Amino acid sequence: MTAGNRTLWLLIPAVLLIGVCFLYPVSWLLQRSVSEPVWGLQNYATIFSRSIYLGVLWNTITIAGVTTVLCALIGFPVAYSMVHARPRIRKLLIFVVLIPFWTSILVRSFAWLVILQRGGIINDILTGIGLIAEPMDLVYNRFGVLLGMVQVLLPFMVFPLYAVMARIDGSFFRAATNLGATPVRAFFRVYLPLCLPGLGTGAMLVFIVALGYFITPALLGGRGDIMIAQLIFERIDEFGDWPLASALAIVLLVGTGLLFAIIKGVSKLRRGRI
Amino acid sequence: MTECKTGAALSRRRFLTTSLAAGVSAAALAAGTGRAWAAIDLSGREMVFASWGGSYQAAQEAAYCNPFMASTGALVIQDGPMSGSKLRTMVESGEPIWDVVDVTDTFLFANEELFEDLDFSTVDASALDQAYVHDKGIGCIVWSYNIAFNTDVVGENTPQSWADVFDVEKFPGKRALRDRAYPMMEIALMADGVAPEDLYPLDIDRAYRKLDSIKDHVIWYSSNSAAQQLFADGEVGVGVLLNGRTFDVNKKGAPVNLTWNQNIRSIDYLVIPKGAPNAEVAQHFMNATVDADNQALMANTLAYAPVNPAAFDKVEDSVVPWLATTPENAEKGFLIDAAYWRDNLGPLTERWNEWKLS
Repeated sequence: MTAGNRTLWLLIPAVLLIGVCFLYPVSWLLQRSVSEPVWGLQNYATIFSRSIYLGVLWNTITIAGVTTVLCALIGFPVAYSMVHARPRIRKLLIFVVLIPFWTSILVRSFAWLVILQRGGIINDILTGIGLIAEPMDLVYNRFGVLLGMVQVLLPFMVFPLYAVMARIDGSFFRAATNLGATPVRAFFRVYLPLCLPGLGTGAMLVFIVALGYFITPALLGGRGDIMIAQLIFERIDEFGDWPLASALAIVLLVGTGLLFAIIKGVSKLRRGRI
Repeated sequence: MTECKTGAALSRRRFLTTSLAAGVSAAALAAGTGRAWAAIDLSGREMVFASWGGSYQAAQEAAYCNPFMASTGALVIQDGPMSGSKLRTMVESGEPIWDVVDVTDTFLFANEELFEDLDFSTVDASALDQAYVHDKGIGCIVWSYNIAFNTDVVGENTPQSWADVFDVEKFPGKRALRDRAYPMMEIALMADGVAPEDLYPLDIDRAYRKLDSIKDHVIWYSSNSAAQQLFADGEVGVGVLLNGRTFDVNKKGAPVNLTWNQNIRSIDYLVIPKGAPNAEVAQHFMNATVDADNQALMANTLAYAPVNPAAFDKVEDSVVPWLATTPENAEKGFLIDAAYWRDNLGPLTERWNEWKLS
């Protein structure tokens, strides 16, 4: 036995956990999706022939995608400030970023309703100071959904970024500028590529967690903001329709897997080029 | 479940103290008032009661479970919340852990095979309005979807019909409507001038044409609590809201009220899952839920209406106008056709989602 093989037993708890809590249920879903009401692909045919399922899948991917981009845009400066702030300010920032984690998702969504609605604080202030004449529709639409999701998911972006940024040697950036790069060029050619592992991990976490959301779009969304988890829940809870719900879950799983294979492939190509 | 047991025992004690304080003993009540269920000795037996949680289940505990425990000696354990998938899975696995469950009319009608027949030699349903009795379940409450409004927003000219609710000139701004085909199909058709007796079978295309005309003037809600908030804050002036939820907001002081015109009634049933371990106790429990006193207690707490007409004598005067089954209120509306929805809920829900995306 090599040293590597001798430590393999350390993986047993993780393998058991994944086997029991993930592989078994997923294969059960897979089986129900192709065996009921009769063996065959009829449930998948339903999904790919009805505009509702494709439309909602597309909705889900767009909402999760935009949430990921917004989290990156907002999270990057936050993580950067955390790395470069004094320890007391850093602790405060960490605390602020973590607060949404400690609040129930229902409470948080209802709080957004109160803040964003037409008679809410934001509209009251803006109309009060005369900036707008009529209250704006900030909620019960896509904007409300994205705001609610970005707030909740931001920590998933900030912490991986923070971990990577904290390890970046500041002298790289100084070396680049000393050698004549403008700060903007140094940022894009030196600093940003060094952050990519953190950005990638953060984006993957945010995107995957966002795919499964359903309370936030149900409460803050408008007529068209249905996400796939809402449909899966409805199929099971309302109709006991496990086969179609299972097929939807499998499509989501395979779709996500494919998407990440593509992203992985693209980033490998890029690395090869550099 | 241990926690639930303690909870049930505590509230049982609480119930006993309150009834003693009122100078009424459960045994005295049982004697001579036709309360057959109360005279049966079930001490040492137990059953599990599952419902929707929150203030609703607390009211059911006080109105049905506590009197039953006090009189029969049986222990009723509270569980929940009710979930269709959970209930279906436990019955299909052959080992349900719930003995009595509160389900909606559509769930009962669509899943009749999941439930035990009621034993009408034990459950005395003769005093009830038979519209609310099913072979497999007893209607425990009747509730309704009503036209609701905030008087601060709409002033004295309140909406009188669904056509008013759909009239964006008469009532500008957003309206709050339920994000479900049930009961939005009925509402849209009535708004388009269809009389309640001509609704079924529903003219779905016509309903969607009517909905198209207002679709950008609506906040669609899927949570009743969120809907209460919309009306209470004046975010919407008009819309649809459950009568019990309107009662609740109104009681808390918000300028929110309802009209009974064109109300759409629906029933929650108590059922016994097939294979329930304590089905015999459950049948006796069912008999306790049809009791007029117990039903009145329920109505006085939450304004959901009794199905036993004798209960009305015991409902507080201030609550009576809020109940869906008083003759005045009932004649202004109709009972939703649960059998129609059982047969059509699937395709209509799909079409509803498609329409929302369009």
